[in-house]
Amino acid sequence: MTRRRGRFWSNAMAVAYKETRILRHDRAFIGVVVAQPIMMLILQGVVLSNKPANVPWAVLDWSRSEVARRFVTEVEATGYFLPPRPVASYEEGRQLLRRGDALAFVVIPRDLARDVERQEPRVQVLLDGSDPLSAARVGGYIAEVGAALDLGTDHVEDRRPQRPRVPVRGPGPIDVRQRFWFNPTLADRRFFLSALAGMLLTNLCLSVMSLGLVGERENGTYEQMLALPTSSLEIVIGKVAPYVAVSYVLAFVSTVAAGAIFGVWPRGSWVTLAIATLPFVLASLAIGVFVSALARTSAQAVFIAVFFILPSFILSGVIYPYQFMPPGVREVGGLFPLRWYQIALRRIIERGAGLVDVAGPMLALTLLFGVLLLGIRWRMKPRLG
Amino acid sequence: MSWRRLRTLLRREMLATYRDPFTMTILVAVPLVALLLFGFVLSTKVKHMALGVHDASDSPASRRLVADLAAGGTFDPRPFATREALERALVSGKISTALVIPPDFARDFGRASGDLAPGSARPEVQVLYDGGEATLAGNAEAFLRSLVSATGAALVETPPRGPKRGTGVDVVTSALFNPTLDGVPFMVSGTFGFVLSFLTTLITAVSIVNERQAGTFDQLQVTPATAVEILLGKILPLGAVFAMDVVLMMVIGGLVLGVWPQGNVLFFVSVSAFYVLVSLALGLIFSATSATAAEAVQKTVLFSIPLVQLSGFAFPIRNMPTIVRWLTELLPATHYIRLSRAIYLRGAGPLTLLPELGFLVLFGVILIGYALRTIEARG
Repeated sequence: MTRRRGRFWSNAMAVAYKETRILRHDRAFIGVVVAQPIMMLILQGVVLSNKPANVPWAVLDWSRSEVARRFVTEVEATGYFLPPRPVASYEEGRQLLRRGDALAFVVIPRDLARDVERQEPRVQVLLDGSDPLSAARVGGYIAEVGAALDLGTDHVEDRRPQRPRVPVRGPGPIDVRQRFWFNPTLADRRFFLSALAGMLLTNLCLSVMSLGLVGERENGTYEQMLALPTSSLEIVIGKVAPYVAVSYVLAFVSTVAAGAIFGVWPRGSWVTLAIATLPFVLASLAIGVFVSALARTSAQAVFIAVFFILPSFILSGVIYPYQFMPPGVREVGGLFPLRWYQIALRRIIERGAGLVDVAGPMLALTLLFGVLLLGIRWRMKPRLG
Repeated sequence: MSWRRLRTLLRREMLATYRDPFTMTILVAVPLVALLLFGFVLSTKVKHMALGVHDASDSPASRRLVADLAAGGTFDPRPFATREALERALVSGKISTALVIPPDFARDFGRASGDLAPGSARPEVQVLYDGGEATLAGNAEAFLRSLVSATGAALVETPPRGPKRGTGVDVVTSALFNPTLDGVPFMVSGTFGFVLSFLTTLITAVSIVNERQAGTFDQLQVTPATAVEILLGKILPLGAVFAMDVVLMMVIGGLVLGVWPQGNVLFFVSVSAFYVLVSLALGLIFSATSATAAEAVQKTVLFSIPLVQLSGFAFPIRNMPTIVRWLTELLPATHYIRLSRAIYLRGAGPLTLLPELGFLVLFGVILIGYALRTIEARG
């Protein structure tokens, strides 16, 4: 028994050694490991943001009053908006909205100044609802500025336009004091970067692993391996082991880069992070192996892998919060390992959660891994031709 | 250019494409699955969000506030006995929004409806958000505030009297084109751009490489067929399939998701068909310049990540830094997605979209021209 076990590991290690030697010459692999992380780091750290910026807007000012001008200045001073585009008619403003040249169209009525006297000043804002997330936020900002606008006519004091980035007090009869924990400025960068490792590992594990077995079958080397005294389990372990190592290196480098360049260091412990990563890497690699066993040619394998990677980015919640998704879609997203890993990552990196707090996601990942193993076993019966 | 030769090539490609069940399944299934999944992904109607509540006041007013928050179905309030328990739940991620009602909430209410000088001691509640979920927090904030202020207004029977100290302009917002700010139309119209940019390029990316590996591409090149004919023979049959996909997606999007195009259907289909040619040409370029199918697909995938993230499909371009915004203009997909949203959601016509159409044609000419050269260069 011990003899057999010894041979098992030496066989697996032999396959692993062969696999590592090949990896060093694989251009596609180098592309995935070097080019993609750099690209994604820049995208996630600098480029992507859900926070409105450079919002184009138009103003139709019928009143030509001082209050109206101050309202417009204050809206612009929030920093989310471009300089407003004055329009001469209602139709012109709507035309800008239709063309997409304006996201918001502010209409200030003729008697705004009189309405101020009567205590019921009112302006109208038309939003381009075709981009609902932006529209909702932009509308909120303008309303916020309106509610806070100082109408006192005898105010001469110098009021520098401030940037109410996170409005602290709201209007209305109840004073809502709000605080944003873990990320006080609601910077999207933290949100995206904390899930970066998950996206990179999904890419790596799936796109490289899925080619592994199919490629061997196409080249005829799979038959050679079957002819060796190695079991299919040993082959799989030997093929998977180098990628686990590479995955850990990639996860480590990307986390350090996010910290060193963008200041997003994990608040939790590195050990927790490393432990939570293992079931995810295994599950992702298992999907790669499964895809590889499913596909007939390497082109097919890559196709299947790609059509798994892209939905998993969108449905797992790394880009859009999964809490927004309607019930059915939310559950579909739960089938992707990335969903659970990003939950764990965000808990550890942003909220400093410990191992107990990420037990749930880790359990889900282990479960996925188990199901996939069964699937692979069923599909990987040694077959020739 | 000979019609007879082109017809033969078209027949050859059609037989090769339509006979391959894997490719055909992908061509039909991927657009539909993408449409249905993405269409449902972005719903701005927040539903059943876990809201931790620590009600230290436990008064009729505070219970009314919590009941009102639950009533809309947006929030699912969960009571927490202590503030510590509430904060722990927030750290562990069990809840992403928390509401704390202080003990003197009800007392402050009594005063607020009295003759108190406005501006002093308004009843106060505290809301904690998990800022780590930035998008979620940003949107939950808007919902929560409007609900709380509505309840507040209803609770204070007599609004604070006297001069309102002169602050506040009432801003009446209304959203055009999509009054309920529903996320589905936005995603549906973007999915056209996603499918027609990505799937097209991916399918053609393997076509020439595979033929070259099988040796049939060399055979093709020694026939009298010219580069233009080979190119057209390659992209027209696929173009037909994708044009069909566009119609199929429109019908499914309309029937299942209830999103019909606002603009002219014919205009939309013809813009889409032209865009398909552009991205098919791009795929051919990847294919002709790669040695193996895997390499061609890797190129496509590397290209497709910025495509999803930079083209405006998932993130508004205007939120990006200036240099990147210039770069996004170099992606044909950016212009197509802009066009499809304008036609689909805002019902814009050809005249208002002239500049964008011009860009698309320019890209088409450049890419198709370049694809021709790569095919010729190999001959």
